[in-house]
Amino acid sequence: MGNTQSIMADDDFTSGDSGASATYPVQCSSLRKNGFVMLKGHPCKIVDMTTSKTGKHGHAKVHLTGLDIFTQKKYEDICPSTHNMDVPNVTRKDYQVVDLAEGYLTLMDDGGETREDLKVPEGDLGKDIEKRVASGENFMVSVMKAIDDEHVVGIKNMTS
Amino acid sequence: MMAAVGAPEVITQLESAAKVLMAPPSMVSTEQRQHAEHVFLSFRKSKSPFAICKHILETSKVDYVLFQAATAIMEAVVREWILLEKTSIESLRAFLLTYVLQRPNLQKYVREQILLAVAVIVKRGSLDKSISCKSIFHEVGQLISSGNPTVQTLACSILTALLSEFSSSSKTSSIGLSMEFHGNCKRLFQEEGLRQIFMLTMEVLQEFSRRENLNAQMSCVFQRYLALANQVLSWNFLPPNHILFATQNVTLKPTETWREALLDTRIMDLFFTVHRKIREDSDMAQDSLQCLAQLASMHGPIFPDESAQISYLAHLVEGLLSMINGIEIEDSEAVGISNIISNLITMFPRSVLTALPSELFTSFINCLTLLTCSFGRSAALEEVLDKDDMVYMDAYDKLLESWLTLVQDEEHFPRGCFVQPAIQVFNSYIQCHLAAPDGTRNLSVNGISSHDEEEINELQEDDRELFSDQLSSIGMLGRVAADHCIPLLTSLLEDRVTRLHGQLQRTQQHLMASSDLGSVDRKVLDDLYEDIHWLILVSGYLLADDPQGETPLIPSEVMEFSIKHSTEVDINTTLQILGSPGEKASSIPGCNRTDSVIRLLSAVLRTSEVESRATRASLTELLSPQMGKDIVWFLRRWAKTYLLVDEKLYEQISMPLSTAFGADTEGAQWIVGYLLEKVINNLSVWSSEAELANDTVELLVTLVEKRERANIVVQCESWWNLAKQFASRSPPLHLLSSSVQRSLMKALVLGGFAHMDSDTKQQYWAEVLHPLQQRFLNLINQENFAQISQEEAVKQEIVATLEALCGIAEATQIDNVASLFSFLMDFLSSCIGLMEVYSNTPETINLIIEVFVEVAHKQICYLGETKSMKLYEACLTLLQVYSKNNQSRKRSDATAEEDQYQDLLLIMELLTNLLSKEFIDFSDTDEVFRNQDQGTPASSRTVSAADVVLYGVNIVLPLMSQDLLKFPSLCNQYYKLITFICEIFPEKIPQLPEDLFKSLMFSLELGMTSMSSEISQLCLEALSPLAEQCAKNQKDSPLFIATRHFLKLVFDMLVLQKHNTEMTVAAGEALYTLVCLHQAEYSELVETLLSSQRDAVIYQRLADAFNKLTASSTPPTMDRKQKVAFLKSLEEFVANVGGLLCVK
Repeated sequence: MGNTQSIMADDDFTSGDSGASATYPVQCSSLRKNGFVMLKGHPCKIVDMTTSKTGKHGHAKVHLTGLDIFTQKKYEDICPSTHNMDVPNVTRKDYQVVDLAEGYLTLMDDGGETREDLKVPEGDLGKDIEKRVASGENFMVSVMKAIDDEHVVGIKNMTS
Repeated sequence: MMAAVGAPEVITQLESAAKVLMAPPSMVSTEQRQHAEHVFLSFRKSKSPFAICKHILETSKVDYVLFQAATAIMEAVVREWILLEKTSIESLRAFLLTYVLQRPNLQKYVREQILLAVAVIVKRGSLDKSISCKSIFHEVGQLISSGNPTVQTLACSILTALLSEFSSSSKTSSIGLSMEFHGNCKRLFQEEGLRQIFMLTMEVLQEFSRRENLNAQMSCVFQRYLALANQVLSWNFLPPNHILFATQNVTLKPTETWREALLDTRIMDLFFTVHRKIREDSDMAQDSLQCLAQLASMHGPIFPDESAQISYLAHLVEGLLSMINGIEIEDSEAVGISNIISNLITMFPRSVLTALPSELFTSFINCLTLLTCSFGRSAALEEVLDKDDMVYMDAYDKLLESWLTLVQDEEHFPRGCFVQPAIQVFNSYIQCHLAAPDGTRNLSVNGISSHDEEEINELQEDDRELFSDQLSSIGMLGRVAADHCIPLLTSLLEDRVTRLHGQLQRTQQHLMASSDLGSVDRKVLDDLYEDIHWLILVSGYLLADDPQGETPLIPSEVMEFSIKHSTEVDINTTLQILGSPGEKASSIPGCNRTDSVIRLLSAVLRTSEVESRATRASLTELLSPQMGKDIVWFLRRWAKTYLLVDEKLYEQISMPLSTAFGADTEGAQWIVGYLLEKVINNLSVWSSEAELANDTVELLVTLVEKRERANIVVQCESWWNLAKQFASRSPPLHLLSSSVQRSLMKALVLGGFAHMDSDTKQQYWAEVLHPLQQRFLNLINQENFAQISQEEAVKQEIVATLEALCGIAEATQIDNVASLFSFLMDFLSSCIGLMEVYSNTPETINLIIEVFVEVAHKQICYLGETKSMKLYEACLTLLQVYSKNNQSRKRSDATAEEDQYQDLLLIMELLTNLLSKEFIDFSDTDEVFRNQDQGTPASSRTVSAADVVLYGVNIVLPLMSQDLLKFPSLCNQYYKLITFICEIFPEKIPQLPEDLFKSLMFSLELGMTSMSSEISQLCLEALSPLAEQCAKNQKDSPLFIATRHFLKLVFDMLVLQKHNTEMTVAAGEALYTLVCLHQAEYSELVETLLSSQRDAVIYQRLADAFNKLTASSTPPTMDRKQKVAFLKSLEEFVANVGGLLCVK
């Protein structure tokens, strides 16, 4: 069985983060609901996962339904359960909000590094951020990163 | 308001409203529709509408208005009963009956509604004996004898309406009276009225069955009376002094007064005659067979003695046989006939069955055998055709169930009388499930076999569950005829395995030549897999039972069979066959002198071996995961029963079985090793087949969950390899799904409690648990852990550890809880640290909480005081961190709500688990921890369950939005939790912070008023302990004020609203304690209600009723006796004036 070989041969958690690849392969059957997977090229959170088989003596196939973690668009895929699927490396990081100008946020991480390349998100969350910046409140935002995309996805009060 | 308007205006108004309601949806607006509905509603509620209703009935031409007028009369009569003169009620009833008689062309629904009103009047009147049933039966009798089909139909409608009203079932109209009243009416009716209806019906059936030719109209009347007869025979007879609610599948248990009517053989003959006459009409046939089935279920005081019962049964069986023999059974008769048989087999005592003349009994059994085989074949055909309505399958199920009942009582019957029938039924079952040429599976009527590849989703149950009833019966019959069935299964299975082996080899050669999997014809393989599938299922059900929670025994029939042949058996050859699953059984010299029970197991092992070898030859793609499941399922079931058979449990034991599988035998050791290899092979080959991997790991758990088996398991080298492999997270075990990994961890931990010398034991734990701890500690203690924590490899390591912890908790047993608890506690505090690190990763947070849930779930009931406290503390810290991290957090992603829902559900589960200690506590003052906790004074109690739970509620409450309560599981868990809290810690409720207290009270109110009745009941149950708590303390607390509000709510609920009768008790208890607490407010509520009554008669009735309600409990005190008295009065109160007040 070719596909039972290790897919995690470099299972070494001390390796640095700079060289981490955007995705890594996982046997389809060991994906789990609420986990992440690439569906049709989009990083998705798995919201539904069911299996089926063709005929009583057939092998399992996995039906995956996921929501794009940034756009919330729905994607689906079917895959034999022995096959590998790509899973995106998804990271979340909190930043302190320093400023907001022309739709872009100035954010500072806990090491003091600042960045100004992230847009204020759309919708209620964005409005809330604008309101808080305007009132001079000290607060943090959560930033989610996957593949080459990065977005502000949440607000958090400062924890002292 | 209606009264103020003249009759013509009212009619016009109603007729135009009816027009609106009857109009197509596109023609009228919602408002118009609502208005029209309101017109009818308020019309029906108007006071004494009798005159106007009569007028409407006589003049209006609009059917719907007539219908509403009939309804209004019915409702008003019940509502105003006590205010009406008996004579005017009598004349009203006469008016309605005449009205219907004079108008044969009325719409059916109008007629039925008017008759319903008549029936309700008769029933209501039977209480105060103001209206006698006799006159109505006399009238109906005359209608029947008129010979006019239309009039006879009408008579039938009247009788049906009476039957429904008096049956006190769901069909009965609710007239706001107590179940006591309904019960009394019913009891009276079943002695008199019901029997009159039955006799009238019998006359009609007699009459019709004599006629040669029935025209359509007459056979329609015939059908209605037959249905009526069925209703009478399905009457749920009330025993004296008992109020029963109608249940399904009522058996016939008439009272003594029915003897003359039902023991008359002519009655039964009449039903057989009727059935013969109408059996081709599928609708009527169902009724006539159902009547016979009810007669076949007859039991109770109607039989004066056993001989009466015997002759009744003999007559029934004779009638049945002569009905079945010589006819070709129609599809529509199958279920009915099997019901008759099933009823008589279940309901008649064995002594009565065996007292039948032996020739009659034999004919009956033969007939049953033939019917079963024939229904089985027809059921198989239905499956091939994929019919929606599986009548033969239902009938077959019923008959197989009857066989099970019979053979379970085998000792009452002549010895061996079921062997031949069992062989026939068993053979026909096997035949239906095997492919041609041996069997007929998938053959349609014309002999063509079909082979379709349908999509099967995961929700479809496995055959072993789906057909478990059938398989149990067939397995049982197989035991009865073990001499035939066990060797048959063995030879069929051995043959299929040999063929499968050959087919796989040929396919392998074919693949070497073409290497294209798509070119393989799977038909031959799939046919073999399906044959093997059924053979293994039947073998499993034959050889062993699967009782939940107790040790299954080797079935006595199987044991006796093995003992009986043990003298002809050569033990060594038997062991040789067992120990060489790779060889063809028939190639072993002397293979005919083997123990058949062991030989059948060996056949399954041979199947298993072919499968394992195919995986090693890289043919996994060609194998059937279904067959893989069947094999491990069988082996697990077998191992639970036969492996290390405990001789003490049996009176006598078969030598071959005890030599092969007994304690301290080579055979047992060999087979444990073999099963272990199988498990290890499956886990690496089948990681992608979740169900198969799951069944496999369950087999492993079975091997280690019993100490005796585990002792052998841990001696196997492969076990240690498995443990090391899993601990090091090396491939391929990490590919398994998380639930399988959990169970694997559970098995490995259970194995650790097997008997080993202390060095070995130490080494084992060093191999299994310590690496887990070590890897985990190394990781989280790294200086840069916070930075690398988001790396995928790190996250996976953490997730794997958390999953493993859940598995460890699952392995908890009373004798290992001490060490597992200490081990897990160390992790729990580290897990709390992880809550901080992963506060941004909801899926990890979820899993961390789950670890706590599992530990609490599995261990809290065994923990003594000090240990419990440690766990409470840990849980409290967990909740504090969770709360801190989630304060004013806002997330925009689509799954935020779902994540939160998951968290809350788990937290509530955790709290409920902690609370469960108040109900289930196995700890014997730290007995399981003896020698450990010495010197810890119990008084140093720092954290109590109440603290944790209330703190948890503090977190949960603000987050419980009404939207979240729309998730049913969350809603149930939430209300379960808060009711628990109110019941267990009522003293803590007043101490809650104000906000929290308010939302708790709001939750209770919401649950009481706008949730399902189940939740409403939970909330009501929470009120009594709160009120009792209040009574003990100061009278101006917020809780005191809140309970005053609840008094009003419960009062309104009980007195003014139509409520569920099931709720009366819970609501009554709550009301009583609240009344005790707020006597003045209660009097005020009563006063207000009374003063709003304008009608003096109603006022007096109400005032009397309220006085009576509290008479037995004045002044009300929280005393059980008084409370019970109050509840009793409340029932009367609701029956007396409940209906009166519902009218506004």
